[in-house]
This record gives sequence, structure tokens and C-alpha cells, in this order.
Amino acid sequence: MDEQRSPGGTGDDVGAQIASILDEASGAPSAGATGQTARPTLDREEGEIKDNVLRMGSLVEDQILAAIDALVSHDAEKALAVIVADGRINEAQRHVTTLIAKTIATQQPVARDLRFLLSLDHVAYELERIGDHASSVAKQARRLAPEPPLEHFVHLPSMGRLGAQLVHGILRALVDIDEGVARQVAAGDDEIDNLYHRTFEEVLDLMRADPANVERGARILLAAHYLERIGDRVTNIAEDVVYLASGEVEDLNP
Amino acid sequence: MQQHEADRHADIREPVIELRGVSCYYDTFRAVREVSLSVARRQITALIGPSGCGKSTLIRTMNRMNDLVPTYRTEGSILFEGQDLYAGSVDPVAVRRRIGMVFQKPNPFPKTVYENVAFGARINGYTGSMDELVERSLRRAALWDDVKDKLKQSGMALSGGQQQRLCIARTIAVEPDVILMDEPCSALDPRSTLQIEELMAELKRDYTIVIVTHNMQQAARASDTTIFMTMGDDRAGYVVETGPTIEIFTNPRDRLTEDYVSGRFG
Repeated sequence: MDEQRSPGGTGDDVGAQIASILDEASGAPSAGATGQTARPTLDREEGEIKDNVLRMGSLVEDQILAAIDALVSHDAEKALAVIVADGRINEAQRHVTTLIAKTIATQQPVARDLRFLLSLDHVAYELERIGDHASSVAKQARRLAPEPPLEHFVHLPSMGRLGAQLVHGILRALVDIDEGVARQVAAGDDEIDNLYHRTFEEVLDLMRADPANVERGARILLAAHYLERIGDRVTNIAEDVVYLASGEVEDLNP
Repeated sequence: MQQHEADRHADIREPVIELRGVSCYYDTFRAVREVSLSVARRQITALIGPSGCGKSTLIRTMNRMNDLVPTYRTEGSILFEGQDLYAGSVDPVAVRRRIGMVFQKPNPFPKTVYENVAFGARINGYTGSMDELVERSLRRAALWDDVKDKLKQSGMALSGGQQQRLCIARTIAVEPDVILMDEPCSALDPRSTLQIEELMAELKRDYTIVIVTHNMQQAARASDTTIFMTMGDDRAGYVVETGPTIEIFTNPRDRLTEDYVSGRFG
């Protein structure tokens, strides 16, 4: 179904797949099967918004991994590329918000449609902020690049990989509007928090042990803090998924 | 103030109109099937649903307007202030005085603006100052400023929105408890529609309002409670879901309601 929906440059048909899953989840009659829906414009616009948010999520995921890669490979050029690429994510968020405003203004969505649009606007906002955190990590990576590594950057690589995984997982939950998966993914934030606290303790010890470690240690702590924030924002997106699925507002990170 | 709050709580507890297992028939055709619902005092209750689902039939049972249809009959009970509206001893004309109705097309009498408003009160033998009653009613219907210099002109000469407000003024001039509105804005432009909605919000301080509307945005904007009706395979209308309007339009419980309010018909 939905032959008209092209996933664009993503290289697979994830957009169409997502659209069909969403339609099933919302119980919409299959347009392909019956050719009957009184709201083709709203359906098409929601599909377009969804595709844009998912592409944005995929960019954000890449940015986190690229920032970590720049860090561990001591590559200032790679770090700079991450910082520059953040502009694309900001632009993507503005585009999503514009699309959502247009759909709300022209289609008067209610019920699940309204929750869907409100949720996706907020998801795009959180993804943009996660992009900022990846960029902030890259800024520290750029400064650390010429320096010898401090304890192999402690737990930052694990935190980054886990952060990217959580972003991937939460977008999956969003596509499926799966409350259970959303809760599971949100629970992964605890592991990032643990790694953050361990990093904090270990870096403080290193800094106490040798004043030569202080500058690198401080940069690692800053980067760790940004990675820790990614987990919190993934939890916020999980709350959006719960709201979308149930209509209930719930704090998953009390 | 405290007394006022207490009154409000009492209002919520005791419905003005209550339907219990109401079915409506035109001859052998059952148009409405076993509807039970409550209309809360000094609130606006909206009835929404697809064409032919029995909304108008149902609202017309609430002031016995359907008595005028020869083949029509009602099963179940309709209580107004706890009294059976269809009991043998009840005078339907008295019912319609306490439960007024505003129709889809503005239907002023071919008389002056003044006489349109005074008409019902005259019939009821109103003994107070007619000028005061007319002015008060027109003010409450947010029409006074428009017509105070045109009281002797024909009501038919007013604009559509003004005519509908004149009909509302005529309805409230007899001091009803409830105002039933059957698609009151469907013949009006958007500006007049919003004026009527503003007026409804004012009127609910003193009156209980039930409105049938095809315009879902209107139900969303103007009502406190929304009742969604649809029809079954036998084409009989029934109530699918009743709830606070905000819930019906943000998180309805029933899939049929969700599909209807979000435009997934058929």
C-alpha cells in the first residue's frame, strides 16, 4: 500500500513500512485495499511528517556515533564535521515544526491525530536537543584530539554507543506506537546514569592523582554530562510514545 | 459564594433531563434504539453523529415536538426534573414552554422584531412590563444593540445571524429551563456562528442547553459534554459514547468515536 509515498534518500522503504505499521496500529482502513478514506490529505501529511522525524532520528543517531568515533580516534577533522552537521538537524526540526503547524491549521486534527502531531513536534524538539549534545561532545573531542587519551576516555565510548542504541530503540517504539517497548527503552537510561556516575568518580580520582590530568579530566566530565543528558531526552520521547498510545501523560523518569 | 458553589455541585448531581432506555419509532421503523443519557444542568451538551443517526429525533423527544408527527411513538422514559415527560397528565404545550427549541433555519414570525419576542409571553398571559421583557430578552440574546432602533421593523428583514438570535430571544422570553438547539448555525456564516456560540456560553449561566450539530469543531468549541451517536445495521441510531467534550476530542474511548471525530468514515 501507499505506493505514492517515497522514502526519499534513505535507501530503503522504511518510510512506507512505517506508514503501514502506523495505519494498522491506529486501526485505519487500508487505503490500498478499499480506496476509501475521507481524509487522504491528512493521512498523506501525517506520513510525510513521520518520515521527516524518522530521518531526523537517524541523523541524530549517526551524529552520536560519529562524535564518539572522533573522540576515540583523536580526529579533530571528524569532530569538526559533527559540529558542522548539527546545522542539518536544526534545519530538519524547523521543517517538521512547519509541516505540523500547517497540518494543524488546515486539517483541524483531533483525537489520535492531534496527539500524534503534538507528540511528533515534541519528539523533533528532543531529537534536535540530542543533536546539540552530540555536537557538544564533538567540541570536547576536538580539543582532546591532540592530547594523549586519559584512561581510554573512561566509559564515554560505552555511554555514546548506548545513547545511540536508545535513540534507535525509541524511534522503533514510536513507529510501532508500542508503549511496552518505550518503557523498556526508557529503562535503559539507568545504565547510562550508572556509567556517568562511575565516570565521574574515576575521573575525579585521576584528577586528584595528577594535576596534569585536570584539563583532560574536565573535558571528559563535560562530555559525559552531555551523553548522560541524551538518556534523559530519550526518556522524554518515551513519554511521548506513551501519550500517543494511551492519551495519558506519565513521568517515566520520576 | 459558598452557597453558589454548593448549588453548582447539586447541579452536577441532578440531571435536568434524563432518558432511560428510550427508543423512537416512526410507524414500524425504529429510528433510535434504547438510549439512556443525562443532561446536566447549566451545561451545554452536544449531540454529534452522522446524518440519519437519530440526533434530531432524539432532541425532539425532549420537548415532545415529535408529538406533532402522527406515526411517531416513544418507548422508555424521559424524565424532566424527575417527572415523566410523557405521562398522561402532562400538557405538551406546558412542556415546550419550559423546554424551548431553536431550529436549523431561523424562523421568525412575519411580525415586528418586538412582537416576535413578545409573542410567547402574550399567549402565556404575561402581566409584567412587556417593554422590559422584550429589551431584557433581546439583551440576553446579544441582539439589543443591533435592533433597538428597529423594533417596529419586520423580524424577517434582519440578517440570518440576527434572525437566529431573534429566535433565541423569543425562546428565552418565556423563561424556559432548557433550550434545545437543532443545528442552529448550519444556515449561518462563520461570524454569525461564532456569535451564537458566544451567546450559548453566556446563556448557560441561566439555562441548560442541548445542541445537535454536524459541525464537530462547533461541538468541540462550544460544548461541555459530547454525546456521540451512530446507527447500527438496522439503521437505528444509538449512543456510542458520552463524555467530557475535551476527552471526546483528545482521547475518546471508543474506536467508532475516534474514527468519526477524526474523519475516518466508512
